[in-house]
Amino acid sequence: MKKPFEPKVVAFLCNWCSYAGADNAGISRLQSPANILPIRVMCSGRVSAEMILRAFRAGADGVMVLGCHIGDCHYINANHRTVKRIPLLQKILGYTGINPERLILDWVSSAEAPKFARVTADFVDKIISLGPIKDELKVTHPATPVSLPVEEVVS
Amino acid sequence: MDAGRHPNIELLDYSEVVEVNGYVGNFQARIKRKPRYIHSDLCTGCGLCTEACVLRGGKGKLMVPSEFDEGMGTRAAAYIPFAQAVPLKATIDPNSCLWLVKGKCSKKCEEVCGTNAIDFDMEESFLDIEIGSIVIATGYKMWDPAQIPDYGYGKSPNIITGLEFERLTNAGGPTAGEILTAEGKVPEKVVIVHCVGSRDERAHAYCSRFCCMYSLKQAHQIKEKTGAEVFSLYIDMRSFGKDYEEFYRRNREEGIQFIQGRPSQVTVDPESGKLFVDVEDIQLGQVMELEADMVLLATAIEPPENADQLASTFGLGRTPDGWFAEAHPKLRPVETASAGVFLAGCAQGPRDVPDSVAHAGAAASEVIQLFNQGVVTIAPTIAQVDEEKCVGCEECIHSCPYTAIWRNHAQKAEVNPALCQGCGTCAAACPSGAITALHFTDDEIVAQIDGLLKLAV
Amino acid sequence: MIEEIRSKAAGLLEDLDGIVALKETEMGTGPHLFQKGDDTSLLVMEPRYPVSEITSKLQKQFQEARIGIVARGCDARALVEMAKRNQIDPERLFLIGICCPQELADTCHCAEPFPRTQEWPQAEMIGEPAEPGDPNPLVIQYRDKGLEERWEFWQSQFTKCIKCYGCRDICPVCFCDACSLENPLWVEPGLLVPDFPMYHLIKAMHMTTRCVACRHCESACPSGIPLTVLYDLVRTDVEDLIGYIAGAEITALPPLSLTLSDAPIESDLVY
Repeated sequence: MKKPFEPKVVAFLCNWCSYAGADNAGISRLQSPANILPIRVMCSGRVSAEMILRAFRAGADGVMVLGCHIGDCHYINANHRTVKRIPLLQKILGYTGINPERLILDWVSSAEAPKFARVTADFVDKIISLGPIKDELKVTHPATPVSLPVEEVVS
Repeated sequence: MDAGRHPNIELLDYSEVVEVNGYVGNFQARIKRKPRYIHSDLCTGCGLCTEACVLRGGKGKLMVPSEFDEGMGTRAAAYIPFAQAVPLKATIDPNSCLWLVKGKCSKKCEEVCGTNAIDFDMEESFLDIEIGSIVIATGYKMWDPAQIPDYGYGKSPNIITGLEFERLTNAGGPTAGEILTAEGKVPEKVVIVHCVGSRDERAHAYCSRFCCMYSLKQAHQIKEKTGAEVFSLYIDMRSFGKDYEEFYRRNREEGIQFIQGRPSQVTVDPESGKLFVDVEDIQLGQVMELEADMVLLATAIEPPENADQLASTFGLGRTPDGWFAEAHPKLRPVETASAGVFLAGCAQGPRDVPDSVAHAGAAASEVIQLFNQGVVTIAPTIAQVDEEKCVGCEECIHSCPYTAIWRNHAQKAEVNPALCQGCGTCAAACPSGAITALHFTDDEIVAQIDGLLKLAV
Repeated sequence: MIEEIRSKAAGLLEDLDGIVALKETEMGTGPHLFQKGDDTSLLVMEPRYPVSEITSKLQKQFQEARIGIVARGCDARALVEMAKRNQIDPERLFLIGICCPQELADTCHCAEPFPRTQEWPQAEMIGEPAEPGDPNPLVIQYRDKGLEERWEFWQSQFTKCIKCYGCRDICPVCFCDACSLENPLWVEPGLLVPDFPMYHLIKAMHMTTRCVACRHCESACPSGIPLTVLYDLVRTDVEDLIGYIAGAEITALPPLSLTLSDAPIESDLVY
C-alpha cells in the first residue's frame, strides 16, 4: 500500500516570537503537525535566501519563515528586511516553476500559540495538496557529502 | 532647585545637544551653548535689566508674549523667565531685543547692571564632553487645539487650554491668581471639555492620561474661588490613582455637573462674546447647548517640537504614537534599544507627577547600576566581519537596527560589539558572506537543515 | 559618432588621469586605460563590453586619480548601482556617455539606450538618444505560462550550464571578492551541471535590486541561457512592490536593507 505523502517542512522560527509561540503551543497542548522541522534563529532577519534554497535542496517540500509582527520585532525593525526579502524569493521561485506557495512568511508572536498551531497545520495541508517537491531539486548525487551520516547523528 | 544646588550636578542651561557618538559607557556629546548676552557667572538675578528694558509699549507696558505665561502675560526683552527659574539668571531674547534686531537702542540694561554682566558680543560656543550614560527627560508639548476649529480656540480669549488656565490660578501669573475672563470679570459659568485632541481620530488616538485629574482640580478651584456653575464634559473619567477616585467623588458632591458627552462645537456670540457649547448628554440621550463665560479645553499632549531631531541625535526609536520607544512596554519602561540611553517621564509617554517621579527614579537607578558595575556584559551571539571578504558595500550598515556597524579606516565594515544585539540581519544581508553571526553561523544552520531533513522519515 | 568620442577623449585627457575604454589592437579588442599622449584613434566602441568593474578597481587602487569612462546607458546604470555600494566614487569619475544606435537598443530590448548624465557630477552625452528597444516577447508571454511550463523551460535551459561563471564575471554590478556562488556551503563544488536551485537562484536573488538589464550575462553565456528573462521579471516586481528601479537614481539606496519607512514594500504582511 502506498504510504500517504508526509511532507517535510522546515520552519525558521525567531527566538523571541515564533519560537516562543511554538513553545507555548506545545505547553498548551495545541496540536502542530510533526512534519514541522523547526530551526531557531535569533531573528527572522537572519534568514537568507541562500539558506531557504538550501532547505529546498536538502529535501524540504515546504519552508516557513515565522517572525515577529512588524513593529514588534525584538530587534526593533530587523523584520523589515525579512518582509522584503521573502516575497522577492517567492517571485523568483514562481518564475522558475517552483510553486511559490511552498515558501511562506508569516508573523506569530509568543502569545499567539493558537496561531502557530493553525498556520503550521494549514501549511502542511497546503504542501500535501501540492505534493512532494520535484526530485530535481533534491540532492541526487550519492557522493555528495551533504551532512554527517545518519548513524553518527542519531548516536 | 535642589538639582541646581547639588555639587555633583552641572547644569548646562540654554544649551542643546547637537551630536552624540559612541556607545554605552563611552559616549561623546557635543553641546551648543546658546548666548544669553548676559554672563551667567556675573548675573545676580536682580532683575534691574528687566525694569530698565527699553522695549515697551504705551504706559511702559511690557510687550513680548511670555512663554511661561502661555502667552497670556508679557515680559521684557531682557528677562528672567519666572521667579523660581533655575538658574536664576537673566537672558536677552535675540528675537525681540531692539539692539540685537535693529541695532538701535540706548541699552539702558547695560547701564543699570551692577556687575557689568551684559555682553552683546556673546556668541554661541560648543562644549565637547565624554559621558557614560544619557537620560532623555525632554517631556511634552501641548497639542494646538486650533487644529480642530470646532473647538473655537483662537476665536475668543475666553476659550483657553488647561495649561493656560494654570497661569490664571497661579499667584505668580498674569492675574495674580484670580480667575477672571479676558474682560476682567469673574466668570459665572464655566465649561471644561475633556479629551480635546486626545482619544480623537482627528488628532491623537491615545489618552493623554493626566488631563482628567487636572481638569477635576481646575473644576474644584473654580468652584471654590468663584462659586461659578461648572460643567465638565467627559467621555470616561480616568481617575485611576491613589485617592483619585475619591477626589472625583468630592467634585460631584461639590455640585460640579458632569455630562458624559463630547461637544461638537464651541461657538462665540459676536455681540455679547458669550460662548456656547453644543453637546449631547449620552446618559440622558439629550442634546443641549450650554452657555458659558469661559471654556477650558483639556488639551492633548504630544511629543516636543524637536522630537524628530532628538530621535535622530540620540538614536531613539519611536512608538506609533510618536513618543520615544522604551525597550519593552511592560518589563523595561526606562531603557531604550540603545544600551546606556534611558528615558524618564513624559518623553516615553504621558504620565502625571507621581508616575514621572517613579519613572525618573527608575532611570536614575539604571544609570547607577550601570556605573557601579563598571563593565557591560554583552551577549556572545554578536556579528563579526571578515575584513578580507568585505568589499565595503555597506548593506550591513544599512540593515542594522542599532547602527552598530560602521565603516572603519580601512573602508571595511566593523561591528561594535557593545552595540550589536545579535539579530543576524547583517549576516543575511551581506552578499559576500563576510559577516558571521556568531553561534548562528551559516554552517551551523545548514548543519541543522541537513540533519533535520535526513532524520525526517 | 566614434570620431566624436575619440576627439572628446583626447580633449579630456589633458585634464583627466586616464579614460577607460575599449582599444583595438592587433591581438584583439580589450579594455584599456587611455592616458595623455595615447593614440585615441584606437579607441573603439565595439564589441559591447562593460568596463565599470575595471574603473572601480582603478579608482580603489589610485585614490587620488580622476578617471573618465566611456559608458553606454547600461554602463551608466551599472555605475549608479556601484556608486551606491561604494564601489565607484562619482566625484572622481568623468562619464563620457554614449547613445546606442536603434538596432542595438532593439537587440538588447533596452528601455533606456542612453545614459542618465544628470545623475553624475561630471558627465557629457555624445550622440542622439534612440527610442526604447522593442520589449522581449518571451518576457511578455512569460506570465501566462503555468508552473509546469515554466519549470520545463528553465530546467531545459539550466541543464546547459557549464558553470563557467561567465555570467557572474561579466556582470557589471557583481563586484564581491568573496562570491556566494563560490562558497562550497551554498554551491557545491565539483557538480556539473551546477546544482539547481543553488547557483542560479542565489544569483537571481542577488540581482534583484542590482540588475540593470545590460544583457551582458546572456551575451557571455556560452550555452545561450536567456538569463535576463528571469531577471527582467523580477526587476518588474521590484519596481511594482518596492518602487525601486536599479540604475535610475544615484541617491536611492538599495532598498532591501533599509527600514520600511525608508523603502516600503506593498505586502499584506505590512499593516
